[in-house]
Amino acid sequence: MIRLYAFARHPGPALPDVPGLVEVPFDGLAALCGPAAEDDREATPEALWRHEEVVEALMRDRDVLPARFGTRVADEADAVRAGTAQAEGLHAALAHVSGAVELSLRVRAREPAECPEALERRLAPLARDAVTSPPGDEGEVLRAAYLVERVRVGEFQAQVARLQADHGDLALLLTGPWPPYSFTGARA
Amino acid sequence: MTTTVANREVALVDLVDRLLGGGVVIAGDITLSVADVDLVYVSLRALISSVATAEEEGVLPRMGSAL
Repeated sequence: MIRLYAFARHPGPALPDVPGLVEVPFDGLAALCGPAAEDDREATPEALWRHEEVVEALMRDRDVLPARFGTRVADEADAVRAGTAQAEGLHAALAHVSGAVELSLRVRAREPAECPEALERRLAPLARDAVTSPPGDEGEVLRAAYLVERVRVGEFQAQVARLQADHGDLALLLTGPWPPYSFTGARA
Repeated sequence: MTTTVANREVALVDLVDRLLGGGVVIAGDITLSVADVDLVYVSLRALISSVATAEEEGVLPRMGSAL
């Protein structure tokens, strides 16, 4: 078994120095794979971070569509089959995320409240795309992922800082850049 | 501003959401055990509470930027 990290365009730049990392090409794309390991089956924080570090290393110099953690295939031929089955969608998703990365925003309030419209209004223009999710708990008023051009990340970060300054009653938590997990166009 | 360890704890919720709930899905090949995922969420709940009660919360750029 081998583990699938991500899909990317092929040909692409040289791979980062990760032991066992291979590029399996098909149809102008490549499946980026590595050795399967026991920790594929256990979603511990350590296993998740180790996996994530590889995907982020790939993301440094190419556009990637990250695979869901724990994705395994029998062998490279199987990786090609899996990728080929959704090649059209992968090409479209790569075009959508081209030159962009994902930023995560969570907004907390001491009292449950409607998220101030101002937040979303002041951030949406800085992003190519955005998805919101149901809040994780009562104290959370917004959970959103933004697809932001790499060169605009600093601008986005500065805007979030300004919003935090303007809203002392809220806590804004911004993390990233992430590979575009929320913008792969995949359906579970 | 904060240490790498603290940044990683704060970002863990986002990491789990993405790696376990997002990303490209290929037909029928996730062999992750559900019990293991539940364990991660149990420990996350405690983390979320501790983050929520902190007085100082603001923008926390993640360490190790991929840019």
